[in-house]
Amino acid sequence: MPPEKRQVRPGRWKRVALFLAVMGPGLITASVDNDAGGITTYSVAGAQFGTKLLWTLGPITVALIVVQEMSARMGVVTGKGLADLIRENFGVRTTFWISVALVVANLANTIAEFAGVAASLQIFRVPPWVSVPLVAIGVWFLVLKGSYRLVEKVFLIASLLYIAYPISLVLAKPDWGEVALAAVTPTFSGDGAYVAMLIGLVGTTIAPWMQFYQQAAVVEKRIDVDELRYTRIDVVMGCIVTDIVAFSIVMACAATLHKQGISIQTADQAALALAPLAGKYASWLFAFGLFNASLFAAAILPLSTAYFVTESAGWESGLDRKWGEAKQFYWLFTGIVAVGAGVVLIPKLPLIRIMLVSQIVNGMLLPFVLIYMLRLANDEKLMGVHKNGRWFNMIAWTTTVVMITLTAYLVATGIRELVFT
Amino acid sequence: MERPSGKFRFLFFTDLVGKKVVSSDGKQLGRLADLVAVSGEPYPPVESLLVRSGREIHQIPWTSVASVNGTIQLSAGAPIGPAPTGPMADRLHLGQEILDRQIVDMEGAKLVRVNDLHFLETKGQLRIAHVDVGLRGLVRRMGWQRPVDGLVGLVRPKSRYLNNDTFLSWKLVQPIESAPGRVRIEATKKALASLHPADLAEIMEDLDRHQREVLFQRLDVETAADALEETSTELATELLEAVPPEQAADILEEMAPDEAADALSELPGDTRAELLLAMEKPEAAEVAELLEYHPRSAGGLMTPDLVELPPTATVSDAFAEVRRRAEDLPLLYEIFVVEGGLLQGMVTLKDLIVAADPATPLSALLREIPASVGAGADVRDVARAASKYNLLSVPVVDSAGSLMGMVTVDDILAEVVDAA
Repeated sequence: MPPEKRQVRPGRWKRVALFLAVMGPGLITASVDNDAGGITTYSVAGAQFGTKLLWTLGPITVALIVVQEMSARMGVVTGKGLADLIRENFGVRTTFWISVALVVANLANTIAEFAGVAASLQIFRVPPWVSVPLVAIGVWFLVLKGSYRLVEKVFLIASLLYIAYPISLVLAKPDWGEVALAAVTPTFSGDGAYVAMLIGLVGTTIAPWMQFYQQAAVVEKRIDVDELRYTRIDVVMGCIVTDIVAFSIVMACAATLHKQGISIQTADQAALALAPLAGKYASWLFAFGLFNASLFAAAILPLSTAYFVTESAGWESGLDRKWGEAKQFYWLFTGIVAVGAGVVLIPKLPLIRIMLVSQIVNGMLLPFVLIYMLRLANDEKLMGVHKNGRWFNMIAWTTTVVMITLTAYLVATGIRELVFT
Repeated sequence: MERPSGKFRFLFFTDLVGKKVVSSDGKQLGRLADLVAVSGEPYPPVESLLVRSGREIHQIPWTSVASVNGTIQLSAGAPIGPAPTGPMADRLHLGQEILDRQIVDMEGAKLVRVNDLHFLETKGQLRIAHVDVGLRGLVRRMGWQRPVDGLVGLVRPKSRYLNNDTFLSWKLVQPIESAPGRVRIEATKKALASLHPADLAEIMEDLDRHQREVLFQRLDVETAADALEETSTELATELLEAVPPEQAADILEEMAPDEAADALSELPGDTRAELLLAMEKPEAAEVAELLEYHPRSAGGLMTPDLVELPPTATVSDAFAEVRRRAEDLPLLYEIFVVEGGLLQGMVTLKDLIVAADPATPLSALLREIPASVGAGADVRDVARAASKYNLLSVPVVDSAGSLMGMVTVDDILAEVVDAA
């Protein structure tokens, strides 16, 4: 850009048009955030602990916005993906261990997505050994042979279904004063299950794959530094909408399941939270929403993992390459889909618990990703005038320290508890 | 130098970095942090080493290195200076600017990431010989080469991993982010110009914005124009905005007018006007005319660069005209015969080659135009006409029947493939 170019503040309609042009990465990432693991974690949190965890959603939303804005800003300013930045600034060893951790976490998440597929289609009486392989093959074809962009749009429209939760919550007629009080009153318990659930809540809302995926999307969209503030609106809107849904799920489950003393073991039970809205069709509505969320995330997670690993290792990547040119990329994608689907086919698997545990893995990995992100976002050579401000750093570091403390506490008190109770 | 000349060995960057640097009196000065090489030569020699001790970094010339074994031993009286601040012309900080970065592999015409650097050590000199872009380089960086090599050797001693090092000669790569140095700019330009424009376009699509602009600015005007014709319109627009207006205007003049019009059409109005003004008059007028049409219409796709001759012209006249214009005609098969501004018919290259007598007038060979389109015709109609009548270029005429330009099959294909 020629330096003498004047900065003109565009008119109102022009600003709206500019926003619509850069919109997408933030909203899409945030929507995928409410995937199978997310819905399950929120549901179980509400059913098991009632309104006790509600207060955490406020701080979590603030942290989510800070983290996601940071990733979008780095994408816009450097024009590089997070994987590239980590490799170029921290070398091979760091990149390798983050890759390993991310592959493990994303694999766990993919397993959770297929568990979501199995659980939701079970409600329609389709057994997992039919639904899971079919969906796995479908996802594989969709991404490698189909038009991924079209699928993205269908998914976004289908995710409007989540509005069922806020409606259901209103129809359940909770005591709103009590809800408001619970939303702002911090309570804490040293109980292992509570800590595990807390890590899971943070991990599912601020999942590590989101930063990598969103930054890649921002770079791919070629968003310019001039358009940074529109991208910010995109990110903040996405985060808030997502967390309103999260809040409604927790609250709806607290108002229905927790009141009746039902703990969630199967998807059928989780669906009861929608009963005030949909009555006997609640399970169908729930199943449809869960299926949509699982399917889409089952496509995105393996894809973004394959991108991350191949890009940071310097192998060829991208769906426009031929199989022979980008072998590692295609095998990684195929492998993660296959293993993710394969694990779910093991008989007598507690599907709900798998989805929950995968989100706790996310939460444990998060602080490590954040530490590197923060170092990059504070690098003056890289970010120039767009490096992190003081408030940003404070919130992001607090999130990191809190997560490390919680993870350490959980490891100390025994992971056994979270897997078997 | 203690080492006898004629003796040489290979070293990896990974082997060197982190080694202790010891002065002649046995004092440990710190650990090797980075190497600085002179970028001007085909195999750049390492000029100095940067040594870190605590928070400080010192610079020591490579000529003061007595030996490299378990440690880096300096000779007596080695001058220890402060580390340079900021980048210097014609110097490469290898660890910072080359290692882990993307570079262009000129032979494979693609981007690769540098996993390690391979040096040749001879006569007290250390020169970059290769960059390692392979898996073994990654394993070496992890510090696992010995166990992994051993393991692979046990399982598959003939594997590609052990027997084919994925080295690229330094001569055949182009670093992107570091300045090539004044000496190298000409060589760099020449090297980049030797890449196929389509490969160059793909490399630019894969780079990030900053690297892309740096690379683009290193291209000479012709190469830049060829590459822009092959990239997406979006990217062409972005790159034209990244260079000074005069340079952008030069590049636009070199581009085929239809491609130049496509790139300009995506620019904001005032920038477009500025560039058109900076372009030479005739080219600017052609492009401005094309800008009037919808990009997916015959008018938007057509090029005014074609061969048109009167019916009285002979076969040898036609050959002469084709040779004269060859430079600005990317694709040529049909030659249009025009009289009084009106399109009369066409002659194909095959007709010309087959014609026995070079003095034959074109009127004797004249074929009827099977199909022509108006400037407003949609690209699908143009494609149908080309496909039905086996045309490599479809003439575009106005309502009076005079020839305005032609749409060539490569542009039709690009549009149709994108739409599919």
